[in-house]
Amino acid sequence: MAENTISFVFPAFISDYRDDPSREVPVFHEVFQEYLSKAAGLAGSELLAFHPESNPLLQNELLNQYISYIYGCSCAGILLNSGIKPVMTAGYSMGIYASLYSTGSISFETGLLFIQKAYEAIRSTVPGDHYGMCGVIGLSEKDIREIAVHYNLNLAIVNCNSDHSFIIAGDSFHINVFLLKAREEGALHARSLGVSIPYHTNLLTEASKLLAETVSTADVHAPGIPVISVLSQEMITDAEQVRREVVKNICHPFNWLATQLKMFNSGVRIFTECGPSQALRKNSKFIPGGGKFVNWNTLVNTL
Amino acid sequence: MAKITENTRTEVREIVLAFFAEECEADKSQIKDNTSIIKDLDGDSLMFLELIEIFKKKYNLDIELKTIGKYAVKHPVETIGQLIEMQMLIIELENRLLELEK
Repeated sequence: MAENTISFVFPAFISDYRDDPSREVPVFHEVFQEYLSKAAGLAGSELLAFHPESNPLLQNELLNQYISYIYGCSCAGILLNSGIKPVMTAGYSMGIYASLYSTGSISFETGLLFIQKAYEAIRSTVPGDHYGMCGVIGLSEKDIREIAVHYNLNLAIVNCNSDHSFIIAGDSFHINVFLLKAREEGALHARSLGVSIPYHTNLLTEASKLLAETVSTADVHAPGIPVISVLSQEMITDAEQVRREVVKNICHPFNWLATQLKMFNSGVRIFTECGPSQALRKNSKFIPGGGKFVNWNTLVNTL
Repeated sequence: MAKITENTRTEVREIVLAFFAEECEADKSQIKDNTSIIKDLDGDSLMFLELIEIFKKKYNLDIELKTIGKYAVKHPVETIGQLIEMQMLIIELENRLLELEK
């Protein structure tokens, strides 16, 4: 397996632990607990109650994001310590923070700070129960736009996962109407993502300005490994680009399909998902010519 | 419109069983017509979509996903047997699948 063609990719949130590769990596528990303890000291002791089976914290948007970040940092640390170095990394949505940590651009503590400050900024500018997000599979972008126009729905397509899989955000009532109509129009799958924040929409523009105050003074370095922007598919190679990306990330749509294809076209042949849910691996099956996913435990255990 | 033969039926069944056995790490011999895709195999909609793509490619089918989705709203698929029957209809009727509703 040629190690110089690997990319680490980081999910935003955790949906379940059914396929968690960490069970096959004995050192993971110890590494994870170390990061968890550090995070609990900085971000809140409720994190210490986390357990993947009995208390997975999946329903709390902020805690879920912290756990996903801690998992991603633990996973990347183990891979790097095993001598597996990627040629580039990418973070799906809020996976950006673990992606940056894995490249040495930010410290673990700075990543936690960005998550915390982004959440606080969003909560201070966007009402808690007015918005939502949903995923739809089986309709084209044109179909989705036609539903939104026909029913006068104030929604935004915030990500394209593949030609037939999209993420949509906006007013929660409009999201619910959209879900009903999308099913009627033939969506094979349409469901709420269970979040109350319209990530990647211009509704978070004010929040991004508040986040910029923290990011502008934070300790940020040039990534030691290129990070690909999921917003523009450009390579992020210096500290100022990192700062701009972190600020812009919360209020701009992204394109995962284009990002994965850009990585493949840049020479990446193997992707490994630094998370427990394997959602990006599953999605990859619908990206023709997009490369192969290998579970991170397999990479660690085959060395 | 494709002509469905006994061979087609056998082939479709074989593909569906092999697919779920691999995806769900299940014993192929234990997957029956009344096996629930979600409850027994922990399957999901992405698997359904993947299977559709496999059949579209294999039989060079001309059918839009939303046509299948509209049909599935009225004829929900819960078991392996129902899924095989739906795949047979998709292969046979392609984009004319919804004409069955008329």
